[in-house]
Amino acid sequence: MRHRTQGVAYAYFVVALLLYGLQMVFGLLAISKYLGPDPIRDWLPFDRVKAIHTNLLIVWVLTGFMGATYWVVPEESRGELYSPKLAYWSLGLWTAAGVTAVVGYLFGWTEGNKLLEQPFPVKIAIVVVMLLFLYNIGMTIRKAGRLTTTEGVLVAGLALAAILYLPALVTFNNYTLSIYYRWWTVHLWVEGVWEMIQASLLAYLLIRLSGADREVMEKWLYVIVGLTFIAGILGTAHHYYWIGVPGYWLPIGGIFSALEPLAFFGMAVYAYSAIRRSGIAHPNRLALHWAIGSAIFSAFGAGILGLAHTWPSVNQWTHGTMITPMHGHMAFFGAYVMIVLAVITYALPQYFDYPEEHRESAAGLWAFWLQVSGMFGMTMAFAAAGITQTYLERILGIGYLDTQRKMQVHYLMLVGAGILFVLGVALYLYDFFVVAPRPVRADTRRHSTADIRAAEA
Amino acid sequence: MLTKRQTRAFFYASSGIFALIFLGLTVDAHRQVPTLTNEANNTPEVIAGKHVWHRKNCVNCHTLLGEGAYYAPDLTKITQQRGSAYLTAFLKDPTKFYSEERDRRIMPNQNLSDLEIRQVIAFLDWVSKINTQGWPPRPILVSGSATPGTEALAGPPRPAASNDPIALGQALFRTTTPGCFTCHSTTAGVTLVGPSLGNIATIAAQRIKDPNYHGKATDAASYIRESIADTSAYIVPGGSFSAGGTSFMPPGFGTSLTAQQIDELVAYLSTLR
Repeated sequence: MRHRTQGVAYAYFVVALLLYGLQMVFGLLAISKYLGPDPIRDWLPFDRVKAIHTNLLIVWVLTGFMGATYWVVPEESRGELYSPKLAYWSLGLWTAAGVTAVVGYLFGWTEGNKLLEQPFPVKIAIVVVMLLFLYNIGMTIRKAGRLTTTEGVLVAGLALAAILYLPALVTFNNYTLSIYYRWWTVHLWVEGVWEMIQASLLAYLLIRLSGADREVMEKWLYVIVGLTFIAGILGTAHHYYWIGVPGYWLPIGGIFSALEPLAFFGMAVYAYSAIRRSGIAHPNRLALHWAIGSAIFSAFGAGILGLAHTWPSVNQWTHGTMITPMHGHMAFFGAYVMIVLAVITYALPQYFDYPEEHRESAAGLWAFWLQVSGMFGMTMAFAAAGITQTYLERILGIGYLDTQRKMQVHYLMLVGAGILFVLGVALYLYDFFVVAPRPVRADTRRHSTADIRAAEA
Repeated sequence: MLTKRQTRAFFYASSGIFALIFLGLTVDAHRQVPTLTNEANNTPEVIAGKHVWHRKNCVNCHTLLGEGAYYAPDLTKITQQRGSAYLTAFLKDPTKFYSEERDRRIMPNQNLSDLEIRQVIAFLDWVSKINTQGWPPRPILVSGSATPGTEALAGPPRPAASNDPIALGQALFRTTTPGCFTCHSTTAGVTLVGPSLGNIATIAAQRIKDPNYHGKATDAASYIRESIADTSAYIVPGGSFSAGGTSFMPPGFGTSLTAQQIDELVAYLSTLR
């Protein structure tokens, strides 16, 4: 650690990863309900499991983003964090709000608005934590008097994410309007400002890992986020095709959604060329796996698989089928899960001041490859299910229930791939909590890398 | 090559311009939504139904306007496929209508009050009339099939899930010889061989008032009963339905079905409004 207060990030990573593990439990439960019959449907029906699965994802990824920011900002600004205490308190409030929401869902306490199910008091707590977080980060940068482009984009992404959450606090009597503004939060997060966060974390990691020139990396970072917004803002229209709004959103959505892969391909090319030009300048290859993986997987999952169903004449058949989770799972994993895991993997040895080479543990590598192949298999299973559903239910006009019975084989495949994925997550947690070195005595942390190597030899 | 200054300018300009266009279009879309969604019909009852929809977390199993979860059927047009009598009975006890063993899943009973049921049906009915730019391009069905010849793909006929006359009638619709379903769709606007029965209860109630109607029926139910037992009592206009005043529908149902079976069919068909 270059700065003592960066250590705050560790607490955030612990919470994030525990929630990631919990998310897997609910993912497996959800898919088991697709196979059915469901003996526990009366006290834990699918809707609650699904809401918990998606909400845990949002909460832990945001926890990871905040942790990553607490890690990156002191380093970029070259100063200590304004208030570590405030950071710990807001993590406490954040975790309490998150856990309250999850327990609430178990008992049916929900606003029942997809992805924004959080009951109103929880929403307020989320806003408060976001404000505390932004205040803490803002003051850190102000105190240090140095703002790099990388951290600027990162913090702007998080600030915009907080602002875009505000429409979620408003209730509309017209269902069409409530859907319309719901997408301001959901779409403009994941296909807008969260991409800023992903791109800036990627830039940070590439600068650190590849020795690429900061000026060049930050120059192209602007281009990537510029492309993100050109396509992403009006790309919101692909959610506005059939919901009771004017028809002009159809061509707008078709054209601008088709541009959305550009930013993701930009990121993949960005990562590739950084490594190609500058080589690998850092021993933490495991972190590099996750960083490059994020760039490639998001190009495929968010870019190509998104484009696969955003053209209006395609979407009229695929809208509301299993094609959507096909895209959703790989996009979220590639763009946001992998980048958070990349930062965690990168930060951990430095937090414990441990030799970086030791991070390429067998468990760590297996965790990476199992998650990558598990997610690939799940995406293929969702795709097969989605194509089956589109043709049988939507084009041939066979009833939903009869079509679902034809899709059981794809759900079996989903279970298989899902188990591989969950094994990968379990190994990641094992690697983080057990394999990853930690100081035995309080003073070990002050040992230099060389000391530990000498002691081991 | 671009400088960092230029790329920064590109970022600010492109984000700003497209955000402004988006906000401008939003103002216009927001202005048009009341017309496109028949805002005048968004009554307090409909809004109360929307609250039921949210409170019961419906959107995390079903899709509505194609948005939601994919564990249960889309409900955008459900009130146009099933009448409120059917939907009320279904919401009171879904296990009467579907079998978990067969479909691998079933809707848990939401324990809605009569008032909540009325409200949520009113909400779904309002949603079904939103201008969705023609979506879905083909009816999305819960079960069965809208396309001739594809019923066979849907598998063997489902046994009735309960002794409710409506459920028994629904099952019978697929098991009579010849099967009613082979000629009649239960989706409004989809004509297989005979007329669609998608909203037969509504049509029947209008038809008995038609001056061309000379049968004995006095209400929708008795019209449906008569058309099963005495197939040519009224001839639905259309060259492919009859010739020389004789319906193409096989005439034997009046004798091959028991009186109780006909009652069940009538009970089921009367829910299709």
